[in-house]
Amino acid sequence: MPGDHRRIRGPEESQPPQLYAADEEEAPAARDPTRLRPVYARAGLLSQAKGSAYLKAGGTKAEGGERGGGPAGAGGEAPAALRGTALRVPPRPLRGAPTRAPRSCGEEVKLALQEALEPAVRLGRYPRAQLEVSALLLEDGGSALAAALTAAALALADAGVEMYDLVVGCGLSLAPGPAPTWLLDPTRLEEERAAAGLTVALMPVLNQVAGLLGSGEGGLTESWAEAVRLGLEGCQRLYPVLQQCLVRAARRRGAAAPP
Amino acid sequence: MAAGFKTVEPLEYYRRFLKENCRPDGRELGEFRTTTVNIGSISTAEGSALVKLGNTTVICGVKAEFAAPPTDAPDKGYVVPNVDLPPLCSSRFRSGPPGEEAQVASQFIADVIENSQIIQKEDLCISPGKLAWVLYCDLICLDYDGNILDACTFALLAALKNVQLPEVTINEETALAEVNLKKKSYLNIRTHPVATSFAVFDDTLLIVDPTGEEEHLATGTLTIVMDEEGKLCCLHKPGGSGLTGAKLQDCMSRAVTRHKEVKKLMDEVIKSIKPK
Repeated sequence: MPGDHRRIRGPEESQPPQLYAADEEEAPAARDPTRLRPVYARAGLLSQAKGSAYLKAGGTKAEGGERGGGPAGAGGEAPAALRGTALRVPPRPLRGAPTRAPRSCGEEVKLALQEALEPAVRLGRYPRAQLEVSALLLEDGGSALAAALTAAALALADAGVEMYDLVVGCGLSLAPGPAPTWLLDPTRLEEERAAAGLTVALMPVLNQVAGLLGSGEGGLTESWAEAVRLGLEGCQRLYPVLQQCLVRAARRRGAAAPP
Repeated sequence: MAAGFKTVEPLEYYRRFLKENCRPDGRELGEFRTTTVNIGSISTAEGSALVKLGNTTVICGVKAEFAAPPTDAPDKGYVVPNVDLPPLCSSRFRSGPPGEEAQVASQFIADVIENSQIIQKEDLCISPGKLAWVLYCDLICLDYDGNILDACTFALLAALKNVQLPEVTINEETALAEVNLKKKSYLNIRTHPVATSFAVFDDTLLIVDPTGEEEHLATGTLTIVMDEEGKLCCLHKPGGSGLTGAKLQDCMSRAVTRHKEVKKLMDEVIKSIKPK
C-alpha cells in the first residue's frame, strides 16, 4: 500500500503460486445436499473479552467477541445501537484468496451482521449503551459469513447480554450444471464453483428470520424459496449444539466463580 | 476484602506478594505460565501455529506468494511480518489501522527475523532478479494477557517450521514459473530464536513473563531474544527504569534456560504431527 508507514513494507505486488500450478483442483465430490458438517462450538474462552465464542464447522473457523462498549454519545432517549459490528477477515495467510493489508470486510457484510444480530438483542434494556461485537475469521472453509454470525451471536449470549433468542446462521450455494441443486453448508471448493450463494440467519425458538444475504444467478423464484427453507431447516438442526455449548460454558463459569 | 484492596491499591497488593517472593497467581518470580502450542491447524495457510502462554493467545499464519526480488538485492526473497491486535483481544484496542503497540510488535518481530537470520533470504530466491518467494507472516492476538512478544516469537518460529513450499521450476522456453503443488518441502530454519520477557517493579525487582496486570503496574519491561548457541539476537528495552549490568546478566541466564524449555516443547510437538 503506498505510503502505509504503519506496516512493514513488502514487495509492491505478489501473486499466489496457485496461479501457476500445473494441475487443476479436483471438482468437489457429489454429496447429499442437506448434509451439515459437524460443528464444534465453545463459548467463554477469551479472558479479556466480556463474551467470546469459537465455532468450527469443517474447515471454517470463526471467533466472535463482545466487549461491553462505553456509552454512546449524548443520546437522550435514543435506543441503544449494536454498533461497531465488524467482520475482520484476516489477510492472505488464513484465507484462500490473497488480499493486501488486513481488511475489514465490505460494508455490506458488516451491515448484514448488524442487521441479523439486532433483532435478537433486547436493546431497550441498554439505553444509550454501545455494544461492540467483532468476529474474526480464522480459516475460510466455506459458509464463512454464517459461521461468523453464529459465533458473534454466541459471544453476545456468553457475555450475558439480554437476548430474545440466539441467531443461527447457515450458508447455501447453488451448484452449477444441468440440474442446479442448492447445497447446504458448502465447502470452499463448492462455493468457488457456485452460480449463486445465500446466507440465512434464523432465530430458532421464535422461528423468525433475522437476516438474509444472497447473490448470484439462481433462476426461478421457487428455487430461492426452496433454498431459504433448506437453510432454515439447517439452522434448526444446528441449534441444539449451540444450546449445549452455552450450558457448558455457564457451568464452567459457575464452577470457576469464587464461592 | 482482598478483591477490594486489589482494586483500590493494586500496587500495594502486588508488593505484599512480591515481598514473599511469589505472585498472586501462585507463580514464582522466575516461573513462566503454562505454554501450549498447536501447529498446523489452519489448512489454507502454508504454515500455521497457535501459542498460548497462560491466557495470552497468539495465532500465526504464513502464506507464501511469488514476487520480483528487490532491485538492490536480486537474490533475496522477502519475509513480511505483521502483528495484529484486534479489539476482541483486549478492551484497550480499537478497530482500524494498527495502533502503536501493534506497530512496535511488528517491528520487533521484523528485527528478530533480521538479526537471528532464522531464514536466509537467499533461500527464498527462485530465480535471481526474476522470481522469489515472499512469506507473509500474520500474527493475530486472540487474547491479550501480557507478554505478547514472547508468544509472537514462539508462534512465528513454530509456524515457520511448519511451512511447506511447493516445488517451483522455471520453464526455459516460456520463462514462466511452473508450480508443482504435490511436491512440497520444508523451509530451512537456521536458528531458533526464543524470546523471554521481564517486567521491572519498583526499579529493582525483576519478574518473568508478566501478565496484563503486572505489565500495567510495572515500571519497565525488557525482552531478550536468544538463539540456541546462547547468542543474543535482540534486546528490547523501551524506556522504563534502568537496570544494572549484573541484573541484565541474570536475565540473560534465565533467557538461556527458557530457550531450552521452549525448544524441547517445540521439538515434541513437531515430532507428534502426523505427516500430511
